Amino acid sequence: MAEFALPKNSRIQPGKRFPAKPGAQKVREFRVYRWNPDDGANPRIDTYEIDLGSCGPMVLDALIKIKNEIDPTLTFRRSCREGICGSCAMNIDGTNTLACTKAIDDCSGGGVPIYPLPHMAVVKDLVPDLTHFYAQYASIKPWLRTQSAPPAKERLQSKQDRARLDGLYECILCACCSTSCPSYWWNGDRYLGPAILLQAYRWIADSRDEDTGDRLDQLEDPFRLYRCHTIMNCARTCPKGLNPAKAIAEIKKLMVERRT
Amino acid sequence: MNSPDSLRSPVKNARGLGSARSGVHHFIVQRATAVALLFLTVYLVVLLVSLIGADYSQARAAVGHPCNAVLLVAFLLAMFWHGKLGLQVVIEDYVHTPGRALACQLVVVFACALAALASVLAVIRIALGA
Amino acid sequence: MSAYKIQTHEFDMVVVGAGGAGLRATFGLAAKGLKTVCITKVFPTRSHTVAAQGGISAALGNMGEDDWRYHYFDTIKGSDWLGDQDAIEYMCKEAPAAIIELEHYGVPFSRTDEGKIYQRPFGGMTTKYGEGPPAERTCAAADRTGHAMLHTLYQQALAHDAQFMIEYFALDLIWDSSGACCGVLALDMAEGTLHLFRGQGTVLATGGYGRAYFSATSAHTCTGDGGGLALRSGLAMQDMEFVQFHPTGIYGAGCLITEGVRGEGGILRNSSGERFMERYAPHYKDLASRDVVSRSMTIEIREGRGVGEHKDHLLLDLTHLGPEVIHEKLPGIAESARIFANVDVSRQPIPVLPTVHYNMGGIPTNYHGEVVQRAGDNPDHVVPGLYAIGEAACVSVHGANRLGSNSLLDLVVFGRSVANRCAQTIKPGAAQRKLADDACDKALANLDRLRNANGNTPTAAIRLNMQRTMQSDAAVFRTSKTLLEGCRKMAEVFASFEDVKVSDRSLVWNSDLIETYELQNLLYNAVATITSAEQRKESRGAHAHEDFPERDDANWQKHTLVKVDEKGKASFEFRPVHMFTLTDDVGVVPPKKRVY
Repeated sequence: MAEFALPKNSRIQPGKRFPAKPGAQKVREFRVYRWNPDDGANPRIDTYEIDLGSCGPMVLDALIKIKNEIDPTLTFRRSCREGICGSCAMNIDGTNTLACTKAIDDCSGGGVPIYPLPHMAVVKDLVPDLTHFYAQYASIKPWLRTQSAPPAKERLQSKQDRARLDGLYECILCACCSTSCPSYWWNGDRYLGPAILLQAYRWIADSRDEDTGDRLDQLEDPFRLYRCHTIMNCARTCPKGLNPAKAIAEIKKLMVERRT
Repeated sequence: MNSPDSLRSPVKNARGLGSARSGVHHFIVQRATAVALLFLTVYLVVLLVSLIGADYSQARAAVGHPCNAVLLVAFLLAMFWHGKLGLQVVIEDYVHTPGRALACQLVVVFACALAALASVLAVIRIALGA
Repeated sequence: MSAYKIQTHEFDMVVVGAGGAGLRATFGLAAKGLKTVCITKVFPTRSHTVAAQGGISAALGNMGEDDWRYHYFDTIKGSDWLGDQDAIEYMCKEAPAAIIELEHYGVPFSRTDEGKIYQRPFGGMTTKYGEGPPAERTCAAADRTGHAMLHTLYQQALAHDAQFMIEYFALDLIWDSSGACCGVLALDMAEGTLHLFRGQGTVLATGGYGRAYFSATSAHTCTGDGGGLALRSGLAMQDMEFVQFHPTGIYGAGCLITEGVRGEGGILRNSSGERFMERYAPHYKDLASRDVVSRSMTIEIREGRGVGEHKDHLLLDLTHLGPEVIHEKLPGIAESARIFANVDVSRQPIPVLPTVHYNMGGIPTNYHGEVVQRAGDNPDHVVPGLYAIGEAACVSVHGANRLGSNSLLDLVVFGRSVANRCAQTIKPGAAQRKLADDACDKALANLDRLRNANGNTPTAAIRLNMQRTMQSDAAVFRTSKTLLEGCRKMAEVFASFEDVKVSDRSLVWNSDLIETYELQNLLYNAVATITSAEQRKESRGAHAHEDFPERDDANWQKHTLVKVDEKGKASFEFRPVHMFTLTDDVGVVPPKKRVY
């Protein structure tokens, strides 16, 4: 059965507090989830006070400032710092988003709570284990599948057909949407989740792909596809402004269409 | 200690038992019964409102009227079918122990089928004047 | 060093890095039947190729007359005659086929009305050997071309069942006694275990080292790890003094605004609203090559025509393009400008500043991707078992200045080239080279030292010193004085690494340790860069030396080779520029004055 309470060793304890240096002008608190599998201790929330006067505008800037100047053991993924690589996806101020594009000023008042992506196994601190998410991505065979031989030049595609990929191909696989989806929390082992279904639809919608039928076959499953209950958290949380729920709805529509 | 899952390849876990290649039927029927219920529920409410203040024999006569009997049977079938489909989803969502999930599904099927049979039979008996 | 347990894995080919070049090589090698593994410190789609925006060049001629020979000429001119012309010929000739291949893999290119791949103008891309109008040569997927390409390449790697070791960090190259590369020692970041990946060939595809500078468009992960591995192994790097400043990084944040903006008609303006590029490049204006535009911008700011409170940046104006063009062709930069500069690009100009963007220099290779070194009189000695591709390498197709949209091309062309080469030279399943028992000792000693480093200066502090030094002393314009000063300061920073402090002692996902390794790699690259710049007494491409403002072909049309020893001391050799071509399809382009 679904479990509604955290197991004992996952209960969060109060952690350390790192006060701002005296003379700091504009102090903001960051409450960061910490867990290290090495020390056997329960997770804790460490509180860092940061002087925003000497910090960049984004939450990632604050995390990097903490790591550089206060606590080098703080662990998180980051790379491009411009919202295109999808590394720094985490739960900030109650919402899954990218730390690099989330402005500190946009967080609601008081301390800013920062947790790893919800309902994923934690590797350490803010680093979740995305192995299963990536394997699900591979399982949909996300590449152009054709039967007809490729032409000597490019496959032609009308502007209209290309426009159908807008809102789909931009996905950065950050996993914000899937890990915000209660259905994915309960059934993530079998439900593909919004990100992967959006990726699946990206190929179904591609006028160059010739394997639509098989793609639909592979998705037609009570768990893989139909765990989507249009809760819409995915569309609300997507840091790139995409709408996975709509992509899923399109897949469901095609499922019906090929029966009628 | 490693759990069995963690020693299997991630793709093995992701692919699982493969696609069931079903679900769209459930999807269609759930929506079809929902649409039917939309109309039939309005009808039922109207019928019940019209029976306010009526005595037992008047109510019985109303149910026995061929038009009402047909629509009531339709309502009952749609409702229990829709209910079965909905409960099935709830169990799929929240019950993850395989044996228990199957048992729950069977209980729902039997309960809905029995309830549907019993209630439909009741309407038919009244309609046929038994 | 027996305290560390090492698991050994044997492959035909080991690829380090999973950006565009690494992925193209990985599945290319796998498709050739070579048992290949790709080791990467980030999940492949997080690699910095993902941030490329404007496009990938190839003379397809979809939008008007074009010829790969024009592309060849432009690339040589862009390189300020420091590019190897055989390699440039190879790249430009292969380009159209490489793009068609990408399209067949599924890259969602933007389209023309006829349904062909959409192409846009880009800086330095011209027709008729620099005499005609700007060429529309840069194939684009809106302004997210790198993202579209990287994801597609990863998808192809999945389709080819390529094997990945994700979040493994390469610690050091492992060599046999004859000087052949035998593989790489790597750390599994998730578990903290050591793995020796043996390969008949090792391909370094680790990208650039933009993070040696304080402000760069590069990702935090662009730390020149391949260069660090090579330099620590005693190999020479090539042309490290040539660091490209992209004209349009967002002021403050440093995020990239693609040259495609100017390709679509965007204009750079100074404080009086003047289109100042007309003065510096009368013919191609804002579409001159990047070094020219960056220098012009720096001069404008220096002469007091900058904007803002400190008059320290300029404006990129695209308000006249109209919302439709912005929505269809430039949606990504509209988003970036909104988030990082709080600007609505359809109504306001973007504040921009030249920002470190690309390293023309790297590990010297030939056009097959084989690493070459000078050995006595032979400038083209091939190092057995080692290959380099992408930004980590210096083929050299970019010479002293890369043209925009030539880097994505470089990735796929040479990623493919290395796979083709290895298919010919390496036998699947052949025996690995013999390794001495102590082959890993040096690497382990370094690991042991860094893991337990308990000095007084945290990694971040040393990194900041390095970044500030490079930013101030190896900038767009350089003088003998700043360069000497920079060399002195970098030597101090390099020496301060002895005193590094690593706080995280855990084994699992120890990013403190990884960042310290990355810093070590950056330091080697930074020293190589600033010392190479100091010794080059001329101005060429991205190396603008104010005490030697002219290009000096007689003395300096040659590649710098730099080695950095363990103490941070640099030594130099040179390789001649390849002034010959592979075939008679095209002639050698002799040096001439570079005007846009």
